[in-house]
Amino acid sequence: MKLELRAVTKHFGSLAANENVDLIVEPGQIHGLLGENGAGKTTLMNVLYGMITPDSGQLLINDEVVDIRDPKDAVTHKIGMVHQHFMLIPVFTVADNIILGSEPVKPWPFIDHRSATERIIALAKEYNFHIDPSATIENLPIGQQQRVEILKALSHDAEILILDEPTAVLTPQEADALMVIMRTLKSQGKSIIFITHKLKEVLEIADVITVMRLGQVVGTTTPAETNEAALATMMVGRDVNLVVEKPPANPGEVVLDVTNLFVQDDRGLTAVKGVSFEVRAGEILAFAGVQGNGQTELVEALTGLRRATAGSVLLNGTELVGRSVRDVLNAGVGHVPEDRQRHGLVLTLSIADNLVLDQLDSPQYKSWSGRKLKAIQENGKKRIAEYDIRAQGEDEPLSALSGGNQQKVVMARELSRELKVLICAQPTRGLDVGSIEFMHRQIVAIRDEGVAVVIVSSELDEVIALGDRVAVLYDGMIQDVVAPTTSREDFGLLMAGSRPAVTGATL
Amino acid sequence: MSLAPEIAAPEIVTLENLRRVTRERALGYGITLIAIGLLEVLWFGAANSALQTTIELGYNSSSAMPPITSAVRVIPLLIGLLLLAPVVSKRARAFVPARIKFTKGVRNFLVIVGGYLIAWPVVLWLGVNSDGALRTMTIPDSATGYVVGIITTVAGGILAWRRLDRSASPLLYTGLMLFMLGFLIWVARGSNVSGLHLQLTGILAASVAAATFLIFGSLSGTLCERSGVVNIAIEGQFMTGAMSSVMVASAMNGTGISLFLGVLVAGVLGALLGWVLAVMSLRYQANQIIVGIVIVAFCTAVTQFITSQVLDVHQNLNGAFPLPVWAIPFFSHIPIVGPILFDQNILVYVAILGVIIVNIALFRTRWGLRVRSVGEKPLAAETVGVSVTRMRYGAVILGGFVAGLGGAAFTIGAGTNFTFGMTNGYGYIALAIMIFGRWRPYGALMASLLFGFTIALSANLNIYLSQLVIPQQFISMLPYIITIAAVAGLVGRIRPPAADGVPFSRE
Repeated sequence: MKLELRAVTKHFGSLAANENVDLIVEPGQIHGLLGENGAGKTTLMNVLYGMITPDSGQLLINDEVVDIRDPKDAVTHKIGMVHQHFMLIPVFTVADNIILGSEPVKPWPFIDHRSATERIIALAKEYNFHIDPSATIENLPIGQQQRVEILKALSHDAEILILDEPTAVLTPQEADALMVIMRTLKSQGKSIIFITHKLKEVLEIADVITVMRLGQVVGTTTPAETNEAALATMMVGRDVNLVVEKPPANPGEVVLDVTNLFVQDDRGLTAVKGVSFEVRAGEILAFAGVQGNGQTELVEALTGLRRATAGSVLLNGTELVGRSVRDVLNAGVGHVPEDRQRHGLVLTLSIADNLVLDQLDSPQYKSWSGRKLKAIQENGKKRIAEYDIRAQGEDEPLSALSGGNQQKVVMARELSRELKVLICAQPTRGLDVGSIEFMHRQIVAIRDEGVAVVIVSSELDEVIALGDRVAVLYDGMIQDVVAPTTSREDFGLLMAGSRPAVTGATL
Repeated sequence: MSLAPEIAAPEIVTLENLRRVTRERALGYGITLIAIGLLEVLWFGAANSALQTTIELGYNSSSAMPPITSAVRVIPLLIGLLLLAPVVSKRARAFVPARIKFTKGVRNFLVIVGGYLIAWPVVLWLGVNSDGALRTMTIPDSATGYVVGIITTVAGGILAWRRLDRSASPLLYTGLMLFMLGFLIWVARGSNVSGLHLQLTGILAASVAAATFLIFGSLSGTLCERSGVVNIAIEGQFMTGAMSSVMVASAMNGTGISLFLGVLVAGVLGALLGWVLAVMSLRYQANQIIVGIVIVAFCTAVTQFITSQVLDVHQNLNGAFPLPVWAIPFFSHIPIVGPILFDQNILVYVAILGVIIVNIALFRTRWGLRVRSVGEKPLAAETVGVSVTRMRYGAVILGGFVAGLGGAAFTIGAGTNFTFGMTNGYGYIALAIMIFGRWRPYGALMASLLFGFTIALSANLNIYLSQLVIPQQFISMLPYIITIAAVAGLVGRIRPPAADGVPFSRE
C-alpha cells in the first residue's frame, strides 16, 4: 500500500506544529522519520491516524484521496499505530486488548472469546510472536506489551504500521528483537513509519529517512547517503557535538556513602532491596536499568522525598535518612528530578521565582514582608543569561518555555547552591539533541568542580557517555558496577537480570 | 524466518511480592478473629447458664406450606450427596460428562446447592413442621457462646498460623457470621421465658428488603464508575424516584398497573438526571463531583417544594401503596432461604436480577468490554474506534435509571408514602458500598446485604432494649461506622477504574 501526505498543515494557536509537510511511503518500505522533540513528528502521525484534524492538506492511499476523521477511519484504511505510550489497558488480558473495538460477537451481544483466542494464536504464529492471549497486560514486560500493540494493529489487517519512538522503553536486546520483527513485517509487504530521535537505529533499519525540524520537512535521504553527524546537523540546524567531551575523572574523598538501603514503592512493595554504593567527590556514578526497577524510589529516598525503610545514606558522615527534604537540601544535595513538571518546577510561577524556589528562606531573598523581589529578579536575569535560557524575560511564566529550557531552569537553580552531591534523574528525558549537549556539558563541569554526581537514566547511551562508573539496577538491586567501556550486549544482559562474565571491567 | 529469543525482562509486579502481602494480611485477620473469639467466650459464654434463647427459624410465608412427609425428605439428601461427589472425589469427577467443564463457577454452584440439599432435612425439621406451622428452636445461651467463641478462635488460629492466601476469606466470613449469630443469641437471652423470640428469618428477610435501594444505588454507582464517571447524584436520583413513584401511583389510586408505572417513571426521571450529569460532565467537561452535588441540591429543593406546595395540600397524591408481594412457587417454601429470597415484592427481584444482568453485561458482552475500557484508559479505546463519549453517556443514563428504581424502593417498594428527607444520605452510602464491593456487581450485592442487615438489626433490636448493654443509638450508627471502615480501606487493596472521574478529550 502506498501512502502519501500532501501539504499537511496544523497550527496549535500561533505554533505551527506542521507546515506544508509532504511525505511518501512506498509499499514494503521502512521509512524513518527523524526529528527533535517538538519537530512535529508525532503531530503528523496523529493527523495520519485521525487523532488530530489538520488545518489543510491531503492524504492519499494508493494515489486516491481519502478522508480520515477519527482513528476508526484510519483502521478501516488499514493504518495501524503503535503509540509511544502504549494504548493498552493494563488490567485487561492480551486477548481483550487486541479485540477491543472489533470484538467477535456470537451470539449477540456476547463476546466469542474462543474464536478471538484462536485468531490471535494463529496471527501470533504467522509473525513468530510468543504471546499468551490470556495473560494480563500489566504482568507482561514492556517488550511483550509492545508486541501486543503490534499484534493489535496487525489484527486490524494494517498495511501501514506507524511506530512512535518504539525503542525508547526497551532494553538493547528487546530493541534488537524489535528490529527483527520490523524486517519480518517488511518482508511480508507491510510499510512501516519508524519515528525516532536515535540516529543509530534509523541508520540501521530504515530504507528512507525523512528529517523534520520546527514542523517542516528539511530533507529526505537514505542511510547509504548519510551518516550520524550529517543527520544530527539536519535535525538541529547547526553542527552538534555528539560525543561528550570528558576528561578522565579525578576522584577524591567519599562524599556519599549508601549502605543497605531498602525503600518501598507506593503500593507498599519493596522496590529498592538493599542497595549499597559510594560516590567520591569529582566522579559520576551512573545508574543504568530498565524503567521500573527501583530507580524512582532510590532517587526519592536519596533526596528525602521518600522515607527509606532501612539502611543509611551518609553525606560526609552525616546521616540523611529520616531527615526532612529541607534538611537534605541544606546539607548540600542538589536534585534534578525525573519529572521536572511535577516535582522540579511550578509551571504557573515565573522563571525568576522558580529559580529561587528552594532558597526563599535564605536572607538573600527573604525580607521582613516576604520576598526581596528585586534580588529575585536580578538573579533571574543573571541565570537566564548564564544558562542561555530562551525566554522573553525573567517574568515569563514557566509554562511558556520548551522542555529543554525548563530543564535548564531546574539545572540553573540546583547549581546556584553550594553543592556536595548532585542527583540527576533522567536529566535529558524528552530533550532535543542541542539541549542534551548542553545538559551533559553542565554535568561534566560540575563534576570537575569536585562535586559527587549521581545520574539515573534509562538511556544507555547517556549512561555510557557520562558515567565514570556504571551501576546496573535490576529488580531493586545493584546487579553489578562496571566500567562504561563494557559492551552493549553485556549491559543488555545485566539490565535484563542475568549476570554475564564481564571480564576485567568490574569495578 | 528467524527471530530473536524471548527476553526475560523484569516483572514489575512480582507474584511473590503480592503473595507476601496477602499472607501478611491473613496474619492480621487471623489475630483479629482470635481476639473476637476470645471476646465471645468471655462475653457470651459468661451469660447465666440457666438462660435459654428461643429462635424463630420458621417464617409466616404469604402462602401455606404443603405437607411433606419424612420419607420425602430423604430425596433431597440423596440428590445433594450426588451433586457434592464430583467436588470431593476425583473418581466421581470421571463420571461427569466431558461437555461440562469443571470451572470454579460450576464447583461453587455444586457446593452451594449440594450442601444446602444435604442440610435440607435438618433445616426442614428445624424450620417448619410437616403441617407448615411456625417452628422454633430453643438453645442454651452460655454453651452456645462457648461453642461459637471456640470455633471463631480456631478459625482465627488456622488463618494466622497457616497464613492462607486464597482460602482466607471463607474462614474470615465464617468467623464474622458466627460472631453476629452469637451476638444475636446473647441479646435475646432468656427469650424462652420472656416470649421475645429471636426472629432470625424475619430479620434476614427484612435485611434483604432494606438492602433493595442500596443494591440499586451501588449498582448505579458501579455502572457509572466503570465507565469513568463518578455519579455522586445518586442521592438526588433516589429522592426524585421515591417521590415521583408515589405520586404516579397515588394519582391512579394505587391500582396494580399504576404501581408499575410509578416504578417506571422513577427510573425514567433518574435516567433524565443521569443525562444532565452526562451532558455537564462529558459535553461541557465540568467537574463531575460538583455537577453531582449540584444535582442533589437541585433535587432536594424540588422535592421540598413539591412536598410543601403539592403533597401537603393534596394528601391524596401521597398515599402508601405497597407493591404486591410475589411468592415464587416452590422456591418460597424452601426453609429459611425461601422467605428471605423468594417471598418478596417485585422490586427486590428486579434488584437481584439487575445485579446478575449487569454482571453478565459488564464482563461477558461487547458493550461491557467497551464500557470498562473507557473507564480504564479512554484514549486506548478511542484509538480503536470506540467512542468514549457515547459509551459514557450510555452508562451514566442507564446508571441513572437504575438509581431511579432504587428511589421507588424507598416508597412503594416499602409500602410507605413519601416524606421529605427520607433518603437520609443513603445515596452517598451506596457509593461507599460500591467501593466496598470493589466496583463489581456481585460485590455491590453482598455489601448491600451486609448494610441491609445492619439496618434491619437496628430496627429489630428495639424489643431487647433492656437486655442490650449498648444504647440503641449505637446500633443505629452501625451502617455509618461500616461506611467509614469501608472507605478507609478496611477491605484491603482495592483498585478503582483507572480513569474514574477523569474527563476525556482527544487532543
